[in-house]
Formats: sequence, structure tokens, C-alpha cells
Amino acid sequence: MSESAETAGINVEGTPRRGRRGFARRFLYPLLVIAAIAAAIWWLEYRDDGPTSSTGEEYGPVSLPTELVPAGANVAAEEGALAPDFILESLDEGDELRLSDFRGSPVVINFWATWCKPCRKEMPQFVQAYDELKDEGLVIIAINQQEGRGIAQPFAEDFGMDFPIAIDRDGDVADRYRLLGLPTTYFIGRDGVIRSVFTGPFEAEGEGTNVQGAIDESELDRRIAEIMND
Amino acid sequence: MAEASKRLPEATPGWSRTLSLLNPLRGAWWLFTNVRFAIFLLAVLSAVSLVGVLLPQKPLPVRGDVVAETDWLAVQEGRFGFLTGPLDALELFNLFHAGWFAVLLVITVVSTAAYLVSRLPGVWRGITQPRVRVPDRYFEMAPNRATAAAAIDVARIESMLRAARYGVGRSDEDGATYLFADRFQWAALGTLFTHAAIIIFILSAVVSRADSFSSPLFLAEGSTLPVFPVSNPDQIQVELLDSIARFSPDGIPLDYRSEMVIYRRGDEVKRCESTVNSPCSYDGYRLYQTAYFGFGAAVQVTDTATGNVIYRETLPLSERTDAPHLRIADSDANLLFDQPVVMTDAARAGEQAYSAALLALSNGRVITVWLPLDGDDTLLVFEPEANADGATATLTLGETADSAGLTFTYASLESVPSLVPPDFPLPERAGEGVTGEAFLQMSNVVYGTGTTSEGTTLDTAGSPAGAPPVLTMIGLREGAVQLAPGESAEIDGLEYRFLGQREFSGINVRRDRSDLLVWTGAALIVAGLVITFWVPRRRLWAKITPTRTWLAGQAPGHANYSRELQRLLDAAGANNPETT
Repeated sequence: MSESAETAGINVEGTPRRGRRGFARRFLYPLLVIAAIAAAIWWLEYRDDGPTSSTGEEYGPVSLPTELVPAGANVAAEEGALAPDFILESLDEGDELRLSDFRGSPVVINFWATWCKPCRKEMPQFVQAYDELKDEGLVIIAINQQEGRGIAQPFAEDFGMDFPIAIDRDGDVADRYRLLGLPTTYFIGRDGVIRSVFTGPFEAEGEGTNVQGAIDESELDRRIAEIMND
Repeated sequence: MAEASKRLPEATPGWSRTLSLLNPLRGAWWLFTNVRFAIFLLAVLSAVSLVGVLLPQKPLPVRGDVVAETDWLAVQEGRFGFLTGPLDALELFNLFHAGWFAVLLVITVVSTAAYLVSRLPGVWRGITQPRVRVPDRYFEMAPNRATAAAAIDVARIESMLRAARYGVGRSDEDGATYLFADRFQWAALGTLFTHAAIIIFILSAVVSRADSFSSPLFLAEGSTLPVFPVSNPDQIQVELLDSIARFSPDGIPLDYRSEMVIYRRGDEVKRCESTVNSPCSYDGYRLYQTAYFGFGAAVQVTDTATGNVIYRETLPLSERTDAPHLRIADSDANLLFDQPVVMTDAARAGEQAYSAALLALSNGRVITVWLPLDGDDTLLVFEPEANADGATATLTLGETADSAGLTFTYASLESVPSLVPPDFPLPERAGEGVTGEAFLQMSNVVYGTGTTSEGTTLDTAGSPAGAPPVLTMIGLREGAVQLAPGESAEIDGLEYRFLGQREFSGINVRRDRSDLLVWTGAALIVAGLVITFWVPRRRLWAKITPTRTWLAGQAPGHANYSRELQRLLDAAGANNPETT
């Protein structure tokens, strides 16, 4: 049988075509796809996470300075352990806060947000406690969760929050402190050890009971007294 | 004529095939590539899905909540009686989330994929290496064929076929000319596209179920809510700037819109508008408006000693409290009062309890209104501390009465939005009127009419007295506190301020990455159908000798390809056609 040359549109012989296009299809294109995927992963992993602190460290959890960690001490977000250190932007633009800078003072860390109703409810108690005890060395650090200055600043001003306020933009510090919800408050002694953790809003003095005089001290006051008297 | 076609492999003997099917893998492959099994699966899937559509399915909030499920099933018992238990045991009330339904889907996907894979090499071979010669006997038995007892002009038929967009191949052998013409050979992929679309649709359902995200937010104007749980590194927050509703004059909703700002890592990343059908999109998330509520009261309480705000909430006044609409005119028919009365007090006469209110009329007279709490539609109106000549009337709904120079009309019994807010700060001094809880009512609000609020500014044109909304707070002191927007009242060291009426929007934040798969599946199925019906493949074989011409063809779906072959013969110059 002799095949004619006229085979328009039909590959009579069924001979595969090879050459440059075959090479591109087999090797070049797959390599390009793999390279693109690798580049995307690299970008997601190492993209710029925003501003860094004055020390060049990224805002968020940082290692405690070694001189502040006694031998054998455990650093963890749990009672009896040294509170994990962090460095965060302050609500006051240009400033920043580092927890370990307050070593030697009793520190209350309150995680909050303006959208959090229980946080709004309990905030006046923190304001009052700070007004009463700041001269005795009490430090309250309110860590705003992932909100911007534009939202947190007016709230802080209206509610009279005169204590240091930090912004945890990425939620990394909340993650390090294993937050389950807002509000959550850590009470840290002068030695940097977490004395207690309280999840949920503090009831105001006399709230939550019908018995007159049953509570003569709020839970917040009691816990603050614990770290003040350490 | 020599036999040029490839020989088919010999059929496997029946016993051998049976034995080969005993191999589990081979048996499974046979089952999954079996067209009848695939059709059976699709039929079962369709029937089961129909059951799922016809039977009520457990709503999302009910699923997984034992108490809620029990209550929901108790309701269904009213419809399905003794069948409720068995239907629930078979998971027919939760069909699309049942494990067995997922297994059925997986089997269907595997079957369809296996069928696709098994067909693909053959289809590909048929496209790239088509059979260019058929046995001579095929010209006698092909379903579509034509023949003529004459030779035809080969060059002419070739050019005609090319003009009809056929690719043409030609070979000569033993004095005969053989032609093979093929048109739209890639159309053979059409059915594969359709099969692939089925797989992609099912996969999209799996992706949607495994990966979809949905978070409902209920936001007041001016408030912000996060989309994810605390500390999620991808956290986004939504601030509602403006909730907008438009209604027809008879109260039918025409349009709900929300203007919002989206924040990530504390920075504004998008400012957009969302509606029910046109969501705001950000980073793969779509924010749909799902609800609207117009009766929010923004209230702020400040400690006057420190100047610090101790309470600031936008309260959704979700309850309703009766407010009798009273019209009072003097003897000259001057209207002294015409609006719903917000009942601010409680009163009792004998065994009967009333809600009560004091009205100060524009002419200086003070009127007391009592409304029975037991649902009785009579309204008592009188002047307290008046002498025997004071006005007094007992009105039923719609009734008008004259007394002491005043005309009273009980126009209608309306209601105002109200709420007993939990945790509302009360004055410390347990003085007269401090009840231990605050009761808030908001009057002069308009909702469900053509004049419902547009944006943050309440359109009060249609409100009873053309006045702005009024917040009435009861339980803070003796007598009610009534505030217009921006007004405040100081009680025992606390300043209560009504910031104004606010509206709420329900926003559903959704992400469903199966969208792309659904669109891909839809595109494939459309492409498959278009190819199959618009550009169907045609194959034509011809044998031309000096005395006779044979044509045979394959054209799946063609109504009468033989006639087309006949026309071709006629046009090519054959004059003695014999068509089948």
C-alpha cells in the first residue's frame, strides 16, 4: 500500500512530533510551574511582616534576656512560670513596650479589644485600680488585639485608660499566651512569675450576688493585692 | 482489496473473563469502568438527592446540638409520625452530611474517573491515529452508506470535502482509490469534558464542605467586629459605617445596603459597600448583607467625677411595648397632643394593674393615661389632682370622648421598641424610682415605611410629631428620663447620654474556594455539550473504482448521514446512486 502525500489534516502515519516544542512541554513548562509554586511559598513564608522594633526585633514574642531567667526557671504562659517576654507597639505612636522592662513591678496584663463587650464592661475597674495603685508601683499593660490606632485610641481616651496600651497586630503575643478568648488577664509578680490567670470579665464589687456585703472586695482587687503584696 | 485495518484482539473466553474478575483489583476496575454501573450510581445519587430535597433537613444551628436536635425532631414527628425515628436513623434528615452519602459520592467520583481514564487512551488514539481504511465489507454494512454504479471525479470529491472542512487522506491500491475524510476529530473529547465536569462538580462539593468558611456578624453602625477567633494571624475586622434600608410606602423592603471598612493588622485595607446580592470582596472572603435591624439606641454613661466613660453600647431594642396613640384637642379644635404615648410608670387600682404615663399638654394641663396590662383595650384618661371638673374619660380603641373642654381620641394601639439591657449602670444611691434594672423605650422612630432611615440620619418626616427619636429610660430615678439624640441627664454622679438611633446590619462573611471548581465544571459541561451538538465529529470512507463508488460514514447523533453522503455523490457527478 502506498500512502499519498495528500493527508491534509490527518496524521495517517501517526508519527509523534518531537523537537523544541516537545522539550518545552516535557521539561521547561513543568519546571516553570514548580518554580512559580516554590516562589509563592517562599513569599508567603518570608514576606515582610511589617514594622520592627527599635532593637530590630519583630514585634511580638521575644526571648527573655538571659540575666532575667534564673537557672532552671520555666518560661511559659501558665501559673508558676516566668511570663513570656514580648515587645509591642505602643498606642502612643513611636513608642513601644517590652514586658521585661517592668521586671521588679507587679504587672497586670489585660488582653482586650473595643469590639469585646465584656472587655468594655470590666475596663472601668482596671482604670479605677490603676488610679488607686499606680503610685504604689502597679503596672497595667492593656494589649489590644489586632485593632488599629484609629479604633483603639478614641476608646482608650474616652474610658480614661492612662496605663500603657500595646497593640498586638498579628495576635502573636495572644497566641504565645495561649488565649482562648477575650478578655483574659495575667497577674505577674515582681519576679516576673505568673501568679494567676483569669479568663472572662471581672465582676464589679458587689456584683453577682444578692447578699448585701457578701463581697467586700472585687476579684480584680483581690488578685491585684496578691501581686502587690508579693 | 487488501485488508488494511488493524485486527481487533480476540474476545476473551467467558470462563477466562470470569476468572480474571475474581482478582479483586481487576474486578473493581471492571466494575468502575462499566457504563451500566456508572448509570446506576448516577440514578441512585439523583434519587437520594431528590429525597434530600423533599425531606426537611436539619438546620445548621441544630446539627450537633443534642438538645436542639431532639426539639427539632419532636416538631418533625407532627409531620412524619412513627417514621421520624427510622428516617432519622437513616440520616435522611441530615442526608447531605451523612457518611453514607459521602461514600456514595466518592464511589461515583471513582467510577466516573475510572471510566474517563479507561476511555481516554482509546479516544485519544481515535483522534490522533484515526482508522484511515476500513474493510471492504464495511461499505456493505455501515449504518450510513451510499454507493453509485459509476466512478466519480476523485479530485472533485476531495475538494468538496475540504470545502466542508474535512481533512482528507488518499491512497491508491489495486486500481482503486481510497479516501478517508475526518471533520471535527477533536469533538470526540466532548463527552470526556462532560464526564470530567461531573467529577469536578462532586469534588467542588467536597472542597466546599471541607474548606468553606462562614461567619455571621451582627454589627451596629459605628461598631467593629472580628471575623475570626482571637489571635488568628489572618484576622480581619469589619467596621460598619452605615446601614441603609429603603422600604416601599406599604412597608415592603426595597433595598438593604451596608457601607463598611475592612481592617487587617490594624490597618484599613478596604472600604466598600455590600448588599444581599452584591457582596464586598476581600482576600477571597465575600461579605454579604443578610439582615437589617433599625432600632438601635446608642447610649453612653460617664462618671462625672473622673470624666471617664464607664459604659458605651449600641443596644438593639428588640422587644416591643404597647404605646396607645392618643389625640387630644381643645374646645377650639386645636391639636394639643397627637402621638403614641410611651408608658413610663406602673399603677394599680384594686386588682387591676396598669401601665401609666403623664402627659404635659401644650396648654399647661397635665393628663394621666392608664392602659390595663391584662390586654383590655380600654384606656383611662384623666387629670390627676384636678377637682371634680377635671377631665376624665374611658375610651375603647377608636373611640372619641369629650370631657372638661378636651376631646380625647384613642386612635390606635401601637408599640415602641424597648429593652431591659443587662449590666446597665444604675445610680449607686438606691433612691426613689431606682428599680434595680433599667427599661429603655425609643419612640418617634420610623420603620418599614417609605420614610425609614437613610443612613445614619433618621428621616423624621413621617414620625408622629415630626420630631427626632426619643429615648425613654425608666428605673434610674423617680420618673422617667427622656432624651433626644445628643441630650444627657445627670443622676447621682452619672451622666446618661443618648447618642442617637443606630441601625444594625447582619453581615455574613463567607469564603468558598470551590467557586473556581464550580465554574470550571460549568465551563467544561457547556463546552462538552457545545462540542457534542454543534461540532460533532464526522468520518467518511470512500472506495472509488472505475466502475463503482462506495461511501460509508460515521456520524453519531446525525439524523440521516446517509442522505448527506448521497448528496455528496450526486454533487460529485455519480448518476446511479444506491443509498442505504
